[in-house]
Amino acid sequence: MSTPSEAPRLRRAAAVVGIGHSDWVRDWSRARAGEKPADSYGYGMQAFSAALKDSGLRREDVDGLIAGPTTAYERLGEVLGINPRWGDQADAVLSVVQACSAIESGLADVVAIVYGNDQRTAGTQYGGPQAMGGDAFLSYVYHAPWGLTSQGALYALTFQAYKNARGMTEAELGEVAVAQRGWSSMNPNAIMRKRITVEDYMASRYVCEPLHLFDYCLINDGGVAMIIAEAEYAKRICETPVFIQGIGRSDLNRGATSLEPRLTDFYLPAQQQAAARSYAMAGFGPEDIDVLQVYDSFSVHVPLALEGYGYCAVGDAGKFLRERGIGPGGKLPTNTGGGHLSETYMQGWAHQIECVRQLRGTCGERQVPDCRHVHYTSDVAGKAVSLIYSR
Amino acid sequence: MDTSLPAKPRPHINAISRGFWENCRRGILSVQRCDDCGHQHYPGAPVCPSCLSSRQSWAPISGRGTLVSWVRFHRAYWDSFRADVPYAVCLVKLDEGPLMLSNFAGDAPAEPTIGALLEVVFEKVDSDLTLPKFRVRD
Repeated sequence: MSTPSEAPRLRRAAAVVGIGHSDWVRDWSRARAGEKPADSYGYGMQAFSAALKDSGLRREDVDGLIAGPTTAYERLGEVLGINPRWGDQADAVLSVVQACSAIESGLADVVAIVYGNDQRTAGTQYGGPQAMGGDAFLSYVYHAPWGLTSQGALYALTFQAYKNARGMTEAELGEVAVAQRGWSSMNPNAIMRKRITVEDYMASRYVCEPLHLFDYCLINDGGVAMIIAEAEYAKRICETPVFIQGIGRSDLNRGATSLEPRLTDFYLPAQQQAAARSYAMAGFGPEDIDVLQVYDSFSVHVPLALEGYGYCAVGDAGKFLRERGIGPGGKLPTNTGGGHLSETYMQGWAHQIECVRQLRGTCGERQVPDCRHVHYTSDVAGKAVSLIYSR
Repeated sequence: MDTSLPAKPRPHINAISRGFWENCRRGILSVQRCDDCGHQHYPGAPVCPSCLSSRQSWAPISGRGTLVSWVRFHRAYWDSFRADVPYAVCLVKLDEGPLMLSNFAGDAPAEPTIGALLEVVFEKVDSDLTLPKFRVRD
């Protein structure tokens, strides 16, 4: 079965015209000092205000609203003071896709996608008896009698099997955290900016072996928002609209609780399908991508993405990380803001605005020269999604 | 039994999983087998994922498998596991096909070898609960 393009009608149907986020660095310090700067709605509001200002639009121009997964849709709309003609609730990448779908089908012209999360000050747990979503996601609770919990443990299991199957080393995986810290050292919005070496990585403690502390994302408070508008309108109101050029998705749900999709093929078939669909829709391939952004709750996502989305041969990710490189000066600039590991853990949302900034050419010291196409990938809970942004 | 220690998490036993845990108490490892198409799967589900039949049984299996992956927790997410840290968790591919998550029985090997041949061992927690675990076999 060949499905060359996921949704050809959505190609360049909509563009990002505004981006905004809360002050992650300031709120990290305040949270660590015991303060609670805002709740999830407050962070969402801050991000939305910044994105609206960036777009130059008025609030009345927004006729579609998508709330991220950590805020109730109705309450978010109440806080923002928006009564849209179309609305939805979705995660980072699917918010972008659904905004494009709504715009292309005429349900909305200007969609605000808004995320706010007070996960640090609220003490959200991603493992143990209060693990977030534990009741909904069977793999979080089913294995508790044997002491398995936490998303980190799932990726630790994945990497253990993967490094055996592909011959990758822990030090090669360490290149991911080192590269992203290299990028974040040049990003004033990043929470962790001190450069590290592979030796630092190897010396850091294990949390769930074989994963080290530096393989784990941060847990911090914050918000992110984007304004997405119909393409022709976007060209009229915005000097540097960033178009959604390619979309692809493929899911692996069967066998999820016993971890079959991630432990036997490392999501590879889903990633390859999603990649093929998005490249077909975009009209080009991985060789044309200038910057890669990978959803990195754990560093392990990155080698899997390099292989799954066609940046190197299957089995070559370790070598690619070591020899070609994904950090500053490397052949494939990846997670150029520092990602979840070093910039901010906004569950994929901050990656979207980093895509836009690179394409606008506003990244300052970390700007990748002549950036034309940026690729965002995620493989979370069985969904492989591939999204390509272009100027 | 020392009741001062917090209790470890227990399985969520319901109409679907009850047969599995009752078999464990009797020293039998089982997977769910479809009465119509014979497909074998684990954990239990309301219908067969292969043919969607609701006629399913917990069928005894060999208790043998191979090591697919393992991790070692250096952090306790439950107070009840604090005394066990660092402790290992393993993922086993049963000879009958399904994957099963478990622990090594007794002390885990220092460096478990992926692909190692394993066999089930039953560890009685109390009169209601027996956990299947695995040890390396020759």
